[in-house]
Amino acid sequence: MPANALSEGWFAIAKSTMPTAAHDGRTHDRDRQRRFEAVVLPHLDVAYGLARWLTRSDQHAEDVVQTACLRAFQFFDSFQGASARAWLLAIVRNTSYSWIEKHRAEELSTPFEEEVHTPAAGGVATPEPEAELLRRADREMLRAGFAALPVPWREVMVLRELEGLSYKEIAAIGGIPIGTVMSRLARARRQLQSYLTRNGARGTPS
Amino acid sequence: MTCPERQEQMSAYLDEELDLTSALELERHLEGCAACAGQLAAQRALRGAIAAAASDLRFRPSAGQSRRLHAAWRRAAAPLAPTAPTSPAAPLASTSPAASAPGRPGTAGQPWPRRHWSQGRGWQRQWGLQAAALLAVALASWALGRSWPAAAPPVSEEVVASHVRSLLAGHLQDVASSDRHVVKPWFSGKLDYAPAVVDLATAGFPLRGGRLDYVAHRPVAALVYQAGNHLINLFTWPASPASETGMPLAASPQASTWRGFHLLSWSQGGMTYYAVSDVAASRLRQFGAVLGERLGRLDPH
Repeated sequence: MPANALSEGWFAIAKSTMPTAAHDGRTHDRDRQRRFEAVVLPHLDVAYGLARWLTRSDQHAEDVVQTACLRAFQFFDSFQGASARAWLLAIVRNTSYSWIEKHRAEELSTPFEEEVHTPAAGGVATPEPEAELLRRADREMLRAGFAALPVPWREVMVLRELEGLSYKEIAAIGGIPIGTVMSRLARARRQLQSYLTRNGARGTPS
Repeated sequence: MTCPERQEQMSAYLDEELDLTSALELERHLEGCAACAGQLAAQRALRGAIAAAASDLRFRPSAGQSRRLHAAWRRAAAPLAPTAPTSPAAPLASTSPAASAPGRPGTAGQPWPRRHWSQGRGWQRQWGLQAAALLAVALASWALGRSWPAAAPPVSEEVVASHVRSLLAGHLQDVASSDRHVVKPWFSGKLDYAPAVVDLATAGFPLRGGRLDYVAHRPVAALVYQAGNHLINLFTWPASPASETGMPLAASPQASTWRGFHLLSWSQGGMTYYAVSDVAASRLRQFGAVLGERLGRLDPH
């Protein structure tokens, strides 16, 4: 029940943020709130986009974004960076991973760093038909291909291909080196390529 | 680099995230490798298909979800509004028991604290790092400052300072490559001369890369070589009249030492060379001898 998970999140935050001193400076708080609304809330759509691909569920993505948004507000004073979008996405990413760890831990334990697929030797001999096949890949096939990617690869693919972020931003969001972004993207694309080649061959060309 | 290793480069190449040097090198490879060219075509087709479907693949909250998210946010922020009650008990008591919808304001009464423990730690960490960096720079400047004899020739001093700075600032090379055919062209257009770049890997001094530096009142080429665990900076620029350096340089490498840093300087083929390192003096002399011999082969005059 998503609402339960959500309330748990709320109470966890409530416990960790009990006021320790009398509350003063209401003007400061209102400024802070306005700043948050102006700087962070415009990125809720992208945040949802990432959470939806990571959790693969509308309802869970909504819960994750809501929890992440409150967490972001809680940590807002520590935000000094240039990109509010990257900052919010980092929190959404971490919240999504916590959710996956809790509810679908097996997705994260799937070994993914080794070579999953090297391009088929046959594909090298006849590159053109393969390119032709890939060009015809329709959105349903692509959606299935994206969903089949291991979580860390799916994450970088969504941020790069769908949201158009730079390697530097993706590295900052995932807390990984740029070299890792590069190799994950390369491997994700290779896997997607072989997924589409395998499944596209069976499907009917449009 | 093997062809499978180039796959990673291709992906970054299509994203226009590959550095220029590697991109040019990849392009050169693609001209002669049908397998890699085919793979690039396939990857390009895949990108095209994703780009065409991107708006369908991208998820966005529905109108209802968007409304709920914003409503939840407003409820969370409500206690901060001027009319909100200041007692934490009041809004808790007013929380509807039926509030099971997402965004249940269970914490509505708790004003968000302006300070959080992690924030404090973050600041401490940041200040700690900055202080450490400052201290390191201060110590290094001090150590360098006192290690030079007052009579050190200015160019040697500059060259050693550049060497230390390149290690301190982590700015060792602008172009990282062991391929002299990559390093040498990199300098063209940046300098008004073409430095000779030779790879000495066979002699145990592999080329690491190159960078631009500023020595003797001019931009100069700095080549970085590896010598075991040590690095050698080799500065080179066109030889000029003796007035600039104070004295004409000998044709064979002359060794000098400034407390731990060894220098070699010489003039060859119309160019001035300064090699600096903290490697053992004998090893640096060996480097100078091998380099001088190779340079001599490039330019017999």
